[in-house]
Amino acid sequence: MQGALTGIDYTVLLLYLAATLALGLAIGRRVRTQHDYFLAGRRLPWWAIGMSLVATDIGGTDIIGVGGAAYSYGMAVGNFEWIGCVPAMIVAAFVFIPFFWRTGIYTIPEYLERRYNVSVRSALAACWLIFMACNLGVMLLASAKMMAVLFGWDPAVCIWITAAFVGIYTVAGGLAAVVYTDAIQCAVMVLGCLLVVVIGLEDVGGWSGLRGKIHAHEQQQAVATTGAASEEPAESTVAARLADPLHPDRVYHTKLILLPMDSPTPFPWTGIFFGLALVLSPAYWIGNQAIVQRSLGAKSEYAAKAAYVWGAVLKNTIPFIIAIPGLIAFAKYPNLPDGDQAFPRLVADILPIGCRGVFLAAFLAALMSSVDSYLNAASAIVTSDFYKRFVQPDATDQHLLRVGRWVTVALVLWAIAFAFYLTGRSEGIYTIFQTMMSFFQGPALAILLAGLLWRRATGKAALIGFLVGLACSISLFTLSQPAVTEALGWRPLFQIEEPFLYFSVWAFLATALTVAAVSLAMRPDPQAKLDYLVFASQRGASK
Amino acid sequence: MTPLHVVGDFLRSWLLRVPLEAVQVLFVLLPTVLLIWVLRLPRSETTPPDGHGGWSENLKFGAALALLIQIAIYALMG
Repeated sequence: MQGALTGIDYTVLLLYLAATLALGLAIGRRVRTQHDYFLAGRRLPWWAIGMSLVATDIGGTDIIGVGGAAYSYGMAVGNFEWIGCVPAMIVAAFVFIPFFWRTGIYTIPEYLERRYNVSVRSALAACWLIFMACNLGVMLLASAKMMAVLFGWDPAVCIWITAAFVGIYTVAGGLAAVVYTDAIQCAVMVLGCLLVVVIGLEDVGGWSGLRGKIHAHEQQQAVATTGAASEEPAESTVAARLADPLHPDRVYHTKLILLPMDSPTPFPWTGIFFGLALVLSPAYWIGNQAIVQRSLGAKSEYAAKAAYVWGAVLKNTIPFIIAIPGLIAFAKYPNLPDGDQAFPRLVADILPIGCRGVFLAAFLAALMSSVDSYLNAASAIVTSDFYKRFVQPDATDQHLLRVGRWVTVALVLWAIAFAFYLTGRSEGIYTIFQTMMSFFQGPALAILLAGLLWRRATGKAALIGFLVGLACSISLFTLSQPAVTEALGWRPLFQIEEPFLYFSVWAFLATALTVAAVSLAMRPDPQAKLDYLVFASQRGASK
Repeated sequence: MTPLHVVGDFLRSWLLRVPLEAVQVLFVLLPTVLLIWVLRLPRSETTPPDGHGGWSENLKFGAALALLIQIAIYALMG
């Protein structure tokens, strides 16, 4: 095939993989206890954590999925990395992360038991575990799809090899291996994607050439869809002008970041602002175990803060290197049946010998940096929140280290099985990922914030609120399925495709209101146990 | 028409009246407010306790840079 690898590409790729494996295994020789395995002995430097945060957040799913979404919907997808990350990271850096670091916890659910009760801890831990375990399968499937398109390799072999490779160094080295390999992977990922952007822009005639081609394709597609090329917009409002793909001022894919509310994309401004910026993003950067865990392993409170700030600076550059290739692909191949084919097709067509190896290394870097983080975080949850909590509370550190490693092996096997299950599904990779998160991220954030900020919030109220929020998001998802609305004779509840951003808003509100109402209706929890667990009381005590 | 549809339609009709220029201001305002908050943080919150006190150790600069880029992106590309 056109994008076949040469010996030089294979050499580049193998060198990178060998270096990653060697680093992971070398770190693994120093791991002695679960404290080393899950918190890296609290010795991690800020620069490595910051790069690891970015690398973890950008997985193979994102390189394919964001590129595919940019191909289909334009730069609006960049909101997920900009307003969908940076503000929450800055707030987390100075408010929440230092707080968690000072409490000395292993997992976020562990904090929730101290603050509320064991039921809340278990409910959250179970949700995160299910999400991470499923997400591992999604990530492996993304790699398989990519490599199948690029090289014609058997997807099944890709899934097995990727899982085995990441599994080996994660099982051996734990969080330290994850973070240091992630730092290298972040650099490789940025370099590889930058290569695609530079060569791709040159191929389409620079930025102005890109805009011109996109505009022409948009006009053609609009004509094909509506058959009304010469019609003027019905209204002269800004919203109508921007919603009309035939308007001469508009280049849908490149100019418009803030799409109007009823635009035919999953990224309207209301969802981006209320759903992403105010709910999903804080939930992710403050409450996602896979993200927060590395900052808990920072060598000081200052390092934990600095890591998030450094990560936020890096985050600003990410849409330029992973979304713009989707735009370039749209300019070159406007009629692909599936946006997820955009990035692989572009790489296969434009990158010269040697560069394909660099890009594949970048893709694998993105994939591995996310898979290893989720493996380690999920293992921490099973070991700390279930095994140590319910099975063997007096287990030694060495015993828990062995358990953690075996759990990681089991998760690798599960991820492989789930990836094969997903292979037969047609839904877009990115949508699967986002929808799964939106079910419980809103409720999780609501009870976490209530616990951190409001002494009056009780454990029972948190559990009830969490379950109500979960039921709310699952109900909204169910009632948004075309088969369900048709059967009920309803018109859809939401007017956009894939309204996952809205689920999180409503679920967050349902949980917050329930927690407030139930807490006020009940007797308060003993106030003494809340010292150092509620934000105001810890700050007051530290002063 | 269910109560859910009534609520949804009410919110949708209300939000559709918000001009995109105002939305853009909202997106610029969020990082701007955070920038002001970061710049007003006490020095003890943004520097290491055992540091030399130089500007390179002060996390305000990194955080301000990240937020200023956000402001520029949404002001120029929104």
